[in-house]
Amino acid sequence: MRKFIATLLVLVLALGLVPTLAEDLNITLFHNKVEIAEPLQAFAKLYSDKTEGVTVNIETLGGGADYSGNLTAKLTAESMPDIFVIEGDGDYKLWQEYVTDLSDEKWNEETTLAYKDPEGKVVGFPVSIEGFGLGYNVELLDKAGVDPATLTTFSALKEAFEKIDGMKGELGLDSVVSMGASVAGGTWWVAGHHNFSIYLGGGLDFEDTTIVDMFNKGEVDEERLADYAKYVQLLFQFSNKEVTTNGTYDDQLAAFVNKKAAFIHQGNWVDPSFAKMNIDFEYDYISHPFNDKQEHTGLYLFAPSFYVLNSKNSPEKIQAAKDFLEFLVFSEEGADYMVNGAGMVPAFANVTLQPSGGFSKALVRANAEGGNHGVFFGKLPPGTGQDVLAPIYDLFAQDASDENLDFFIEDIKGAAKTVSEKQ
Amino acid sequence: MKRSKVWDAIFLAPCIIALIMVVLIPFVQGVSFSLTDWNGVRSEIHYVGFDNYKEMFNSIEFLYSFRITLLYTLINVIMVNIVAFLLALLVTSRVRGKNLYRAAFFVPNLIGGIVLGYTWQFMFNDFFTAIGKSLGIGWMSSSMIANKNLVLLAMSIVNTWQYAGYIMLIFVAGIQSTSQEVMEAATVDGASYIQRVIKILIPMIASSFTISLFLTITNSFKAFDLNVALTNGGPSMRYMGSVVKSSQLLALTIYNKSITSKELAKGQALSVVFFLMLVVFSLLQVYLSKKREVEA
Repeated sequence: MRKFIATLLVLVLALGLVPTLAEDLNITLFHNKVEIAEPLQAFAKLYSDKTEGVTVNIETLGGGADYSGNLTAKLTAESMPDIFVIEGDGDYKLWQEYVTDLSDEKWNEETTLAYKDPEGKVVGFPVSIEGFGLGYNVELLDKAGVDPATLTTFSALKEAFEKIDGMKGELGLDSVVSMGASVAGGTWWVAGHHNFSIYLGGGLDFEDTTIVDMFNKGEVDEERLADYAKYVQLLFQFSNKEVTTNGTYDDQLAAFVNKKAAFIHQGNWVDPSFAKMNIDFEYDYISHPFNDKQEHTGLYLFAPSFYVLNSKNSPEKIQAAKDFLEFLVFSEEGADYMVNGAGMVPAFANVTLQPSGGFSKALVRANAEGGNHGVFFGKLPPGTGQDVLAPIYDLFAQDASDENLDFFIEDIKGAAKTVSEKQ
Repeated sequence: MKRSKVWDAIFLAPCIIALIMVVLIPFVQGVSFSLTDWNGVRSEIHYVGFDNYKEMFNSIEFLYSFRITLLYTLINVIMVNIVAFLLALLVTSRVRGKNLYRAAFFVPNLIGGIVLGYTWQFMFNDFFTAIGKSLGIGWMSSSMIANKNLVLLAMSIVNTWQYAGYIMLIFVAGIQSTSQEVMEAATVDGASYIQRVIKILIPMIASSFTISLFLTITNSFKAFDLNVALTNGGPSMRYMGSVVKSSQLLALTIYNKSITSKELAKGQALSVVFFLMLVVFSLLQVYLSKKREVEA
């Protein structure tokens, strides 16, 4: 009896070896856009089923979680993904030994937004065009009697905020604007990355990096910073303090979707999340009118993240990854995933599908009209947004008084010094 | 089978190899990295001597983190030990269902720190505040972890919930190993329950206190997963003119410096100092406790 069981076990073990003989090439894509995790996984499965011998696996880590830290951990564990994400110069300097030259890929002819290294070689595949402005609920503003087209200067916006604040009861609002700046809740990036980008690029030409270059050297534009600080104060004063200082990403979105806030400080990547939350009203963007020095009508556009290919991989894996990206750009299924599934604005001219989300439509419109501003937080050293700027905004959000306004300005100046030492 | 040195070595080898590879070698590497300017990813490294240590002692962020880690350890050790001891008394008394209680109090210890942190974050932020708001209780209407004065207490509450069951078992083992006769004799002599517990039971299980103090001190000092999941450094505050994260304990500070800000060498310097502090504290504590044990 024992001999029989022993033989049976050996056979079972032997059977276990068989699948390993016919192994697929496994490509892992590690990205940070939690909003599109599901459609991306579906697309990867579609590609894996279609392509013999290749399986694409998607790993997601996003929201306020530490993508960069996790990637470093993967490096230490020697399990670097085959395709991963960098977000700009800061990330590039960090990972430059791990990126592959993609200058010969076909899709380069369809885009101008690919990430190039200092020598001009293409190393990053632009995931999408993203951007933001100040989002608003079209119906609510109509009901409040505020015309969004007039909100192009700081004074005009302040007046509108005060008016809507006075009508909170009848409009059913908790606060005028839904903002996020919480270290604990994980919305630090809304303030530390995107809102700070208003200071870095607002009102300037699309490629004008004067302010961010100054910041990296430890200097600030005093007048501009003073105006910008008042804008931050306005947003904090008219937002729901609990959500801003302690709420999660979902809390911030829910406030807008559930009509508890008339404005929201978010980017077009929330379109799929809004759809999932069954948003039932029209929404659009105005600019961020942070001062009275000019009429603010442009939106903030950027290719925020780029897929890079792990150069330390085997040539077969690198080629398989390149094939996957080519399929993404040139196939119908790829276009369908990018625009309809993920609700993104594609960075490639050959994809002519139009996105359906309110914010994405606003970006396509703004892109066509021009006069938009660049988003430069990616040019700061890694970790600046999360470790240096986030606590400053979190603290200011707790009590956005005039006294703390002065502290805020001093803190930002201190942050510039810290950043200049890290170069 | 005779005991031979060869077999001893063979059986010990896996354990010792693992210890060397996972603890000793990384430790030595860590100390050597703390004397460089490595950022964790790029391949160029320069030797900078003790610069990182000097910078660290001048850093307000580090001083604050050190201070609140000590404060948190103090609060937590007191809370966990008191609660665990009371639970141990309950579970060794003649109350009905004490075996069920024993299991029930221990179960929270099996939940991982990250899940615990996020679940309790929801409890503090949404659940308690919802109750507070609907019943009109003022102090319960705002979240404890958004308040820089209460956030350490909130962390301690969660840690107690998780850890007290484990420490309770240590006290239970200690209590059960004492002789019943002494306690019975005391009852006959007319001692009240509280007198019996304080004057007889506690001195008799002094060795259990040595163990539990050691475990709770090191556990609190090293707290990380709860810190990240529950507060992630918590609300910001102003300390000595700089903006600091009010609940960023030492382990989280090290993580943020090394991994988030990509200043690995500076984080390493911090961890070396962290290690030394922990060694000093635990050795001191065990020495003092052992002395008391002998005297009692």
